[in-house]
Formats: sequence, C-alpha cells, structure tokens
Amino acid sequence: MTIKYAIIIAEQVIKQFAKSKNTRLIFTFFLVFLGFALWIGEQERQHHQELATHYSQEVRQRWEASPDKHPHRMAHYGYVAFRQKFPLSFFDFGMDAYTGKSVFLEAHKQNTVNFSEAGHSSSLLRFGQISAAMILQLLVPLFLFFLGYDLIAKEKEQGILKLLFTQGISWQTLILGKTLGLFLTSLFILVPTALFGLILLFFNGFEVDTLSRYGLLILVYALYFFIISLIAVLVSAQSQTAKSSLIKLIGCWLFLMLILPRIAQVIGQNVYPAPSKIAFDKTVEGELIKQGDSHNPDDPYYKALKDSVMKAYRVDSTHKLPFNYAGLVMKEGEKLSAETYNRHQARLVEIYENQQNVLRLTAFVNPFLAIKNISMALTGTDFQSYNHFQTQAEKFRYQLAQTMNELQIKHISNKVKNSADKNAKLDRQEWRNFPDFKHHFLTISSIFDAEKISFAALFFWIVLLFIPIRYANQWFKII
Amino acid sequence: MNVTKLLFLNFIRAKGFVIALTVLGLAGLLSLYIGKTFIENHQKNIQKTAQTQQETIDRYVKFENKEMGLLLYYLKFGLVNEMPNLAGLSIGQRDINPSTMSVTIRNLEEQKYNTELHNPMYQLLGNLDFSFVLIYFFPLVIIAFCFNALSEEKESGIWKLLCSQTDKPFLVIVQKIIIRWVIVEILLVMLLFIAQIYLQIPFDFVWITFCLVAILYVLFWFALCTWIVSFQKNSNQNALLLLICWVLLTIVLPATANAFVTNTYPTQEAFETLIESRDGYHKKWDLPKEPTLQKFKAHYPQFADFQHPENKDFSWLWYYAMQQMGDDDAQNAVKQFKNKLAYREQLSKTIGYFLPTIHTQLVFNQLAQSDLANQLKFWEALEQFHEKKRLHFYPKIFSDAPVLQENWQQWKLTFFESQIPINWIGSILPILLITMAFLMWAMFQLRKIIVE
Repeated sequence: MTIKYAIIIAEQVIKQFAKSKNTRLIFTFFLVFLGFALWIGEQERQHHQELATHYSQEVRQRWEASPDKHPHRMAHYGYVAFRQKFPLSFFDFGMDAYTGKSVFLEAHKQNTVNFSEAGHSSSLLRFGQISAAMILQLLVPLFLFFLGYDLIAKEKEQGILKLLFTQGISWQTLILGKTLGLFLTSLFILVPTALFGLILLFFNGFEVDTLSRYGLLILVYALYFFIISLIAVLVSAQSQTAKSSLIKLIGCWLFLMLILPRIAQVIGQNVYPAPSKIAFDKTVEGELIKQGDSHNPDDPYYKALKDSVMKAYRVDSTHKLPFNYAGLVMKEGEKLSAETYNRHQARLVEIYENQQNVLRLTAFVNPFLAIKNISMALTGTDFQSYNHFQTQAEKFRYQLAQTMNELQIKHISNKVKNSADKNAKLDRQEWRNFPDFKHHFLTISSIFDAEKISFAALFFWIVLLFIPIRYANQWFKII
Repeated sequence: MNVTKLLFLNFIRAKGFVIALTVLGLAGLLSLYIGKTFIENHQKNIQKTAQTQQETIDRYVKFENKEMGLLLYYLKFGLVNEMPNLAGLSIGQRDINPSTMSVTIRNLEEQKYNTELHNPMYQLLGNLDFSFVLIYFFPLVIIAFCFNALSEEKESGIWKLLCSQTDKPFLVIVQKIIIRWVIVEILLVMLLFIAQIYLQIPFDFVWITFCLVAILYVLFWFALCTWIVSFQKNSNQNALLLLICWVLLTIVLPATANAFVTNTYPTQEAFETLIESRDGYHKKWDLPKEPTLQKFKAHYPQFADFQHPENKDFSWLWYYAMQQMGDDDAQNAVKQFKNKLAYREQLSKTIGYFLPTIHTQLVFNQLAQSDLANQLKFWEALEQFHEKKRLHFYPKIFSDAPVLQENWQQWKLTFFESQIPINWIGSILPILLITMAFLMWAMFQLRKIIVE
C-alpha cells in the first residue's frame, strides 16, 4: 500500500515539474550543456591521443633509427614516455589538467613528468573546466535543490499536509514518494547524458572493462542524485517554510561544494606536510652521495665490489675480467640509486595519499567528495592513475638503463678507451630488440581498493538518510 | 531624513545579515592566513635553495676541481621569481609554476619545464585565497542582502503604505541598497586594511589598483542585483535569477571561456620542444664533430679561436657545443610555444573585458605577478640568466682555467623582479563600464515605478 501511494505521489511530482515552462527550459539547457561538455571532452581526448600517439611513434622511430653506438650513449639518449588518456576521460577531466603528460627517461636520473595543461594555462583554468562530471556533480544538485526545496514545505505552509495525513498517508510514504519523484526527474538528465556518452564511447573502440566501468559510473551518479534528492526532500520536510528550506539547501550546497573541500585541503596539508622539490632532491642526493659514484670504477664505495669480483674470477686487474667491468659497476649503481629514489618516491606518494585520505574522509559529511573521487577513479583521471603511469615510466626507464648496461657488460671489451672507440659500438639491431613503452591502465579491481573509503561513504549516506525517515513521526512537524 | 537611520537599524537588527557578514569576515581572515602561509613557504623554499646551492658548489669545488668542464656539468645556479606579498591574496598560478629554478649551464630546454612536487588533487580543488573569497563569496552575500529589497516590501504590504507617503518611493529602495552596499564595502576595506598590515603589502599604485578593482567588483554585484530588483519580480524569482547569474558568472562562463581558449590555441609545440631539444643534443654524439663545432662558433663568434684538440675523442668544447645544439635546434618550437601561451593570456584578457569575474581574477593575478604573463617573463629571465652563466663560464671551460682561481663565493641565488606596467584604463574601465550600464538601466526601470 505504502509503495503504491508513494508511486502516485512520485507521478504527481513529475507531472508538476513537467508542467512548468521554466523547469523545461532549464532541463533543455542542462541537456545541451552536457552534450556540449561531452563532445568537447571527447574532442580534447582525441586531440591528446593523436598527439601522444604521433610523438610516441616519432620517439620510437628515432630510437630505432639510432646508428651503431656504445650502449651507454643509448642509455643517455633515453626515451620519452607519453601518458595515454583513458577512454572514459572525456566524461570527467579529473586532475588530468594538473598532472604532467610526458616524461624524459634517461640513465641515472628520474625526471619530473612535465607539460601539464595547468602550466600552459592562463588563470582562467582555476575557475574550473567544463566536463560532464562537473555539471553533474556541481550544477545538477543545485538545480535539484531548487526543484525540491518546497516539495513538502509548501504543502505544509498551505495546510495541505494535514489533509494528506488525515487520508492515511504516512510520513514515510510522503518522503519516499517525493524523493522518488525528484530522483526520477533527475534521471531525465542523467539517462540521455549516459546514452550520448555511450555513443561517443562506441566511436573510440570500447572494451568490456571500459564499458563495465562506464556502467558503474552512471550507477554511482544515479546513487548520488538519489542522495541529493533525499536531502532536498528531508530538508523540505524539516523546514517550517519553503523560504527557510531553500536557504538551508543553498547554504548546504555552498558549504559542501565550495568551502569544505578547500578547508579539508588546508587541514590535510598541515597534518601531512609534503616536501618541496628541493628538499626531496636534497634527501635523495644526500643518500646517493654516500653510495658513491658509479661512473667512476675507482670509487672507494665500489672498491669492495671490485675486490670481490676479481677474487671470484681470480684475476689481478679488472681489465682481465671476461666481461665489461665498468658496465657492471654502472648496473650496480643504477640499482642502488633507483632503489633509493623509489623508496623516497613511495614515501612522497604515501604523503599525498594521506593528504587525499583527509579529503576522502570528509565524504562522510560531504557526499560530493565521494562522487568526485569515485568518478575520477572510474574515468582514469585520478591521482592513482597518474601515479600508475609514473611508476610504469620509471620501471621502463630502469629496464632501459639496465638493458644497456647488460649489453655493455656482455659485448664491450674492457680494453676500449671510451664510448667513441670503434670497438665500443654495438649493432643498431640491438635497439630494435628493446621493446617500446606501452602505458597500461589500471584495472577495475584496483579502483575498488583505492576508493573503498568513498564507496563506504556513499553507502553510509544512504543508511544515514533513512534514519530520519524511520523517525519522521517524532522529528517532523505537520504544521 | 531619519529614514536612512531607520533603514540602517532595520538592516543591522536582522539576525541573518549579521551572521552572513560575520561568516564572510571569517572566511576573509582565513584566506589571509592561507595567503600568509603560502608566502612563508615560498620564503622557506628560497632559503633552502640558497643553502643547497652553496653546499653543492662547496662540495663539488672540493672534489671535482680538476676540470672546469666537468665541474660545470654538475653545478646548478638558482634564479628566484620574486613573489610580491600581494600574491598571498591572489595565489593564481604560483602554486603550479615553480618560483625558483636551479639550472646547470647545459641544455636549458631540458631543464626549463621541470615542475615542483605537488599534490595535484589540491591544485584541482584550488586555494581558498582572498581572491576566491571576494569573487565567489561576496556576491552570494550581496545577493542575499538585495534580492528582496523591493519584493519584500511589496509582499509584506508596506510598499502601498510607502507609496501613499512619498511621491518617490523608489528612492527608499535605492537608499536601502546603498546602505547594504556601504556596509559590505566597509567590511571589504577592513579586510584589505588587515591584509595590508598582516601580509606587509607595500602601499603603492599596485595596491591601490588592487583595492579599487576589489571595491568595483563589489559595486558591480550591487549594480547587477539592483538591475534584477528593478524588474519588480517576486522574491523567489529574484533569488533564482540572481543565483543563475552567479552560477553563470563564476562557474559556467569562465569554464566555457577556458575551453574556448584552450581549443583555440592548442599547445602541441610543448612535445615538439621536448623532442627537438633531446635530439638536437644527443644525436651529435654520433655525428662528425666539425659541423657541430662550426654551428657553435657561428652562434658564438667570440669563441671561434678555441679548437677541438686533434685526434681526441672528447673535449669540453665539443661537449658544450653539443649541449648548445639542444637549445638551438628547439628554438623554433620554443618560440611558437611561447607565442601560443602569450596568445592564450591575451585572449583570456579580452574575454575578461566582458565578464567581471574573469576580469577581476586576471587583474588580481597580474598585479600579484601570479599569472601566465609573469611565468612567460620568468622563462625569458631564466633564458637570459642561463645565457649569462654560459658566457661567463664557456671561455673558462674552453681554456681549462684552474677551478680554484674562480671566486665561487659570488654565485649566490639571483632574484628576478618583474616590472608590471599598471594599466589603469585596462584594469578599471571594463568593469566600471559594465557596472554603470547596469546601474543606469536599473535606475531607468526604477523611475518608471512612479509613473505607473
């Protein structure tokens, strides 16, 4: 019975919205704006992909076309890795504008990932970027608040509520019905958007993983809209007048969307201070200095290595070793320095993760941040995805350097003077044997793991909001 | 006229208004604290860089003092993009682009674009600086103060009473709005005053322009509110219309403008620069030395007398000539890249002439030297700085001057201070004109009320 009445109420709500010319106008605006945002997003993604592909091929060609040379020169020539954009990134730009797109990979040195869009932008960027995610997360809730603020408060003001209750309708039915009405109305925005997005997705060669992520993404947005609708209706039920309900909802929107994230960020930064680049480099360099200089085979630190190697091969000079000794030293050096760097880098990433967890935790008071984080994770535009690229690039860099060192150990004689020696050159075929860099995306399971706080927060909200429904009779007044 | 006093008391006694003003004031103070922290971090960073530079130079001079060429391979020299304290009020792009750069005299293009370490999530969310409080929060409070200035009187029935007592009832509305305007401006000026003392901002033309634009921005929102009010719609419609204006001006239109600017001037030259400078240098290792040296000497005729020693596989002259080629070969791409960025900045400014929110932010960032234009100037300064170091050290490297004869104590951090031309007309006129237009239109509408 309750459900039947709830559905009738929901139908009335939808009909009431459909009648209003202004509401229809704003709906049209949202649909056009969302379509535009998706299209722009896809254009930008394609543009980036074209560039990244073009320059990756260029880098590969130039790598393969390199002439015969000493492998260590090749290690210094290095590689450039370009970040790919995840197929769903047209939906949510996330923090992609603020993270670098390419990194120069060379021996002995971990370079920063450079050329972020933010570094090339005027201050306009800081007003935000148009993406479907921004509109759905920020603007649609404001609109839903506008639609929903008087759903119950107005009836209260007009005395209709009393009448309804005498007809046997309960608070639970009323709240559920109104929420359902508002929520279903919001689907008139979400569903067309999702379909248009799906069409765009078809054009860029979708995979099962991408598609299931997209489905989940839309589901999470639906859940978000449900929470927003429920908040609007509950505030409306709790308020004496429609006006006070509207003020509360708008205040709520401002606080949650604009103020709280920025305050949480200040807190996160103070609780988990992150090192500056100069401080980070200094710490890493300090440790590396202690390890010695691997370019110098006579470095005291590597003396122990030298002695043990000579002992094992029973020779009295490194020149008599059956392999290239300088190469071995560099291999050892690369290993040590990479380990040191990776350890510090991991610590830095941990600090950033901790900072972000402060934000993630505020999702328990702010559903906006839950959807923001989940949406970025699903569309591959979050910190996790960026860090994943950075890690892959570093792994590739390490492999490149070590492969070149091994080639040197194996093929270069101990007697060559330096890298310019004719005998120190390797056949260019070797470069071709080294595989190209390929950026792989995170799988869906790692997203669940990274965003478990955000998912938990979303479910927490659903449960939380059902408490006032349960106790509506005691908490809400009819007049 | 006691009406003014009454209206004032009426306004002050309303609980909501006082709360709104308090919240706004507190947000303002918080933003000043955030700005102060930002400046202090910048100062700490400078100290750390200076200290590191000193230590690095000392260490390398002690251990690598046999060859000038090898020593200069390692040594880094820092250039600081000086940040005025005003940047604490308008952080702009300063949290994205590094304000100190340490470079070796090798290939600059491989070092120029290196970034600071940042948590990108925080950059995405943005800073709660003073400009944010002014551009986003002040308008909301202004809207809350004004949206029912007229409709409230009508809805409560006071309007009819008022009309019977005076032949110019709209003057009461104007007075009401003026009182609110004065109070908000007083709060703003108080915040600016505290900011000036707390952040030790020098009292100069830059600061006066900054304050004027802030005051005008507040006036603009009052003008917009008065304009909406003058259409005599009911309170709900006014609130909705004004909120839509706010969402359009602070979120939708700037974001659209940004998408437009980015798509009009895409910056693929960035990748081009990277690839060209990398190949420009590294390829030379496997090429005959003579052409590289020729090109180098064509660039620097003053070094034409230095020769690569015959039958030698390596010399520092050749090495730095190769490094130089990395920069020289990328010059075309670099020039195009910088032009693109300048176009982006210019187009943003032009759009700003029509949108006071964008205009205010851009003028603030320009005055605080935290905009893209400043970054471009800093890059240019870095290029010159780098070139100066090269010109100083190249002859010493090529002639293998003794390392220990150089006065290494002189290489402290260098500071770059950019001059900002204050463009009074460009800063103030656009927002002033828009404000006047709204005010005049509003007055015209309000005057009509008596005619009816």
